[in-house]
Amino acid sequence: MAAIITGNGPCFELALKMTVVAEKSRKPIREGLFAEDANGVSLIGGRCRECAEIVFPANPFCPRCCRETTEPVALSRRGVLYSFTVQRFKPPPPYRGPDPFVPYGVGLIELPEGLRITSVLKAEPDDLRVGMEMELVVEGFFEDEDGNEILGYKFRPVEER
Amino acid sequence: MRDVYVIGVGLHPFGRFGDKDVIEIGREAVVAALEDSGVAWKDVESAYCGTVFAGPMAGNKVLARVGLTGLPIMNLENACASGGSALRLAFQDVASGFCDIALAFGFEKMPRGFIAGNPNDWFATMGMAVNPQYFALNARRHMADYGTTEDHLVRVSVKNHRNGALNPYAMYRKVMSYEEIANSTMVNDPLRLLMLCAPNEGGAAVVVASREAAKRYTTRLIRLASVVLKSPLYGTAEVPYIAVSSQVEAPSVTRTASEAAYEAAGIGPGDLDLVELQDTDSAAEIIYSEELGLCGRGEGARLLDDGATEIGGRLPVNPSGGLLSKGEPLGASALGQVAEVVWQLRGEAGARQVSDARVGLTHVYGALGNCAVSILQC
Repeated sequence: MAAIITGNGPCFELALKMTVVAEKSRKPIREGLFAEDANGVSLIGGRCRECAEIVFPANPFCPRCCRETTEPVALSRRGVLYSFTVQRFKPPPPYRGPDPFVPYGVGLIELPEGLRITSVLKAEPDDLRVGMEMELVVEGFFEDEDGNEILGYKFRPVEER
Repeated sequence: MRDVYVIGVGLHPFGRFGDKDVIEIGREAVVAALEDSGVAWKDVESAYCGTVFAGPMAGNKVLARVGLTGLPIMNLENACASGGSALRLAFQDVASGFCDIALAFGFEKMPRGFIAGNPNDWFATMGMAVNPQYFALNARRHMADYGTTEDHLVRVSVKNHRNGALNPYAMYRKVMSYEEIANSTMVNDPLRLLMLCAPNEGGAAVVVASREAAKRYTTRLIRLASVVLKSPLYGTAEVPYIAVSSQVEAPSVTRTASEAAYEAAGIGPGDLDLVELQDTDSAAEIIYSEELGLCGRGEGARLLDDGATEIGGRLPVNPSGGLLSKGEPLGASALGQVAEVVWQLRGEAGARQVSDARVGLTHVYGALGNCAVSILQC
């Protein structure tokens, strides 16, 4: 579990700008989606100071309190597969993926914080089971027009160790 | 509030019509509803148009071809609930006494293929936000929780295509075999192509009136007992979403909308003789049967197993063929359901007639959780 990033006002802005430390050619698909600390990379959500509700992506607005009361928080890297499907056809634009198209899993990951996140899955479709334990990975999804590798998040089954 | 009655319904068939102008599709539906009602166009006092893809002022363009009478017309977009939203506004005009005769209409000529995402959306760029993904995620979870099987998903589609083969307004007027559906292309596991409805073209219109006005045109009074439009409560999962709270236990919008519709109508699910619901996919029919209170939670597949949802069953669901057979022209779909229920209550549904139908419910669910439910009674 990564340390919680706290703060508000200017600190919130600062935290949102934290991204994976990487060479210039690797960019997150959206600023503030994930951040890295000594323990690894985590998705960044927002937690309400008043009601503790968690939102993802991070956003100052708490939809439960209907006020701007959240602060950034690193989310658990592990969760449970709540449901899944396999994307068998190429989605319409703006989807950008390999050409020719390669089918991929999409699932809902239930995090212990009380949040289900829709995520692309990194797994063989036949291996997927509702209830299995999953972990976060951040990796390249495609290259942009300038040759930058664009990073996004996926979840993969936790390997038995 | 005054009682409101449906005195005329009209459809332009649902399907694909080549280069046919979308405005003409809308006009034909409006003219069909006016003819069905017997109301002269100059006596209609307000009009509401629901469409998602027909562009700005589409309703005015249709009415310019019906006749410029100076009536107020509102154009609205509310995703799959657009037509249901138009009906609610027409209902409100008559119920409140604001006018005696109002028109709701909707029409569509949708782009082919799956509905595209927002071009600036990082989430869609990564390969999410595709509608059938969410339907599939709901289906898979229902299977894990309640033992719904792929066999059930096939049989919902078999049933609705069998019904739709009897409907001259349906897109696929063709029986589809179990094998044909079970072996159709996998789209989003566990949903196959013939378990998903097709976005398409079509139009529908409904004329509503006060009791006094209705009696001038018909002796077969069909009461629009309630029309409810709801958006969701916080904590429910609405297509498409990036993340949803699992801490907040909120009832689904189909549940809140239908409970409000039952209460406003003074009619319960046990009183229904038929239901037209949003079968965007096979699993949706099972899940919404539960959320509409037609059965208990997790019992939707059992309704199918018992044959209850067949035209000859205890509570026929989608006797029109549903969206699976008709296709889904977003602005027209809810009003098309209302037309089907009206025909059923009048005994005009031909080979797909539900015997002794006196009370029917319609239900649409759209993007971000807009949900419209209406109850009709004769």
